[in-house]
Amino acid sequence: MKLLARILRYQIMTSLLVLFLGAGLFFVSVRYLIDDEINKELLNSQIKVSWQLRNIDTLPVYILQLGDSLQLDAVRYPLRPVLREKMLYSKAVNKFYPYRQLIFYEQVEGQWYKVTISKLLIQRQQLMNAVVMTVTFIVALLLISLLVLNNVLSGRIWRPFNKTLAALDRYQLEQHEVLSFPQEETEEFEKLNQSVTQLTERLATTYQNLKEFTENAAHEIQTPLAVILSKIEGLFQDETLSESQLIALSEISEAANRLSKLNQALLLLTKIENRQFLAGTEPVNLSPIINRKLRDLEDLIEQRQISIKTELQPTGPVMHPALAEILVNNLLTNAIRHNLQNGSILIVLSDGRLEVRNTGNAISGNPEQLFERFRKDSTQSASLGLGLALAKTICQVNGQSLSYSIENEWHVLTVTWQ
Amino acid sequence: MKLLLIEDEKALATSIQNYFQRENFICEWAPDYETGIEKINIYRYDCVLIDIMLPDGDGLDAVRELKRKFPETGIIIISAKNALDDRITGLNLGSDDYLTKPFHLSELNARVQAVIRRRNFQGNQQITFGRIIIDPQEHSVNVDKQEVILTRKEYDLLVYLIANKNRVLTKESIAEHLWGDDADLMDNFDFIYTHIKNLRKKLMDKGAPDYLKSIYGVGYKFSEL
Repeated sequence: MKLLARILRYQIMTSLLVLFLGAGLFFVSVRYLIDDEINKELLNSQIKVSWQLRNIDTLPVYILQLGDSLQLDAVRYPLRPVLREKMLYSKAVNKFYPYRQLIFYEQVEGQWYKVTISKLLIQRQQLMNAVVMTVTFIVALLLISLLVLNNVLSGRIWRPFNKTLAALDRYQLEQHEVLSFPQEETEEFEKLNQSVTQLTERLATTYQNLKEFTENAAHEIQTPLAVILSKIEGLFQDETLSESQLIALSEISEAANRLSKLNQALLLLTKIENRQFLAGTEPVNLSPIINRKLRDLEDLIEQRQISIKTELQPTGPVMHPALAEILVNNLLTNAIRHNLQNGSILIVLSDGRLEVRNTGNAISGNPEQLFERFRKDSTQSASLGLGLALAKTICQVNGQSLSYSIENEWHVLTVTWQ
Repeated sequence: MKLLLIEDEKALATSIQNYFQRENFICEWAPDYETGIEKINIYRYDCVLIDIMLPDGDGLDAVRELKRKFPETGIIIISAKNALDDRITGLNLGSDDYLTKPFHLSELNARVQAVIRRRNFQGNQQITFGRIIIDPQEHSVNVDKQEVILTRKEYDLLVYLIANKNRVLTKESIAEHLWGDDADLMDNFDFIYTHIKNLRKKLMDKGAPDYLKSIYGVGYKFSEL
């Protein structure tokens, strides 16, 4: 639920409560005032009627106001005076109307009379109606204005917040980006933006340091590895070594070679991520690179009797030429490595798109995992499992996208660019 | 042949020196930039191997200096940096080759020989081994004046084997020489075996003796009987 909607909910609830309480109070007090006024009028009338009855002996009709009525009934003995409200039937409009009655007893020439003065309350009723309607109108107006205000607020006042949120959504650590925002009037948002800027600054620095460390470490490893490999190679020339010693040495050599390759691949990956290979401005034509690479790999292709079909247009993305080479190389070697004996490869290069399809065994597991580092289909493989991870990283830093799909028996890797 | 090695890592330098001594090369060693420049200015070398990351200077400056004073000397850069820009700068400055650490000594040896051969314009550039004669310019191979038709990879393999004659060559170093960075594509080394088998057969068909010896579990050795 949106913050504003939450606030609005409480606002509406509170204002409704206050309004209805207020309306009730208003209703009660107005009614009390009116009733009080009418009571006074009735008591006034009583004094006048009593005086006339005692002194003039005629019915004092004129002193009552229109709509009031006066009734005299002879009674044997007096009761206590009563002030009450009563619905009386009006024959003229065929309706009950509320009246306020004052009943009192007066003795004229030894005879007790019950005097009833009734006062129509229709004005009070109208007033009350007016009060209810006014209150309803105010409530409706208040609700509408709250809703409108809410919309305006979310549109205008919250805009910087939404901008910051969108920037955070798009934030990518690999871009080494520091988010900065224009000055905001709202203090809270300004603080938020400052915090975000500082956070991303720290992130970028830490990330950069980590990357540099990785690169330096990988780099420093190369020299001892070079020493190890050179010493092993020297030992191989020693003719006094026994066969079992030679085999052990050969295994050491293989492992050291592998370590060195891994290290080089990781170093390359880190360098690409560190953006040490900046794209030029000219697009790199991939077509000659693909043809050259296919020539380099021809003995491999022949050995597995893979048939190759190419549809190449002279085009390509804007990127560092060395990365273009690595990308093409990794896509092609991947297509060969995971191919079948007598399989086929189809390479299509067109505007904004390079597609490499190959036949191959079904892949188990999530296709997205293909791009993970050290992902291999078997531990026996001499592959380092970094080929597609490298290809993916190259595409990422250059703004191309690399995707994998299966179409019938084809495994398809597609690079797209603008 | 006289070589100069400018390299700050002593253990590596010793290995390289030992390797070239067996080749009957004189390989001098300079442990830092200053000594290197000094030696360059005093002696004449056929080929200089320069590590571009030296404690007291940039190896690329040594390349410049050498190129200016003795343009006929071969230069091979060895570096722990695989930075492509360095490679391009190095080659543009006139170095003949660029090798990234770690490397196989047999590979370094093959490259040094290729550089020296290329620089030896006046003399005979042919490679002779027993009854095999290779003309690197023509990429042709003859056994007793009969031409042997080899594929590109077989030719590369033969030149590499001869450059490292009488030495044990590991399968990895052969794979890396032939396929470079794609060497890890060879899921097993059967593939090298196929090339070796074909090469041996083609040579023997033309009457060459079986120079190729397989060392069980390790690799191969190319030597005269």
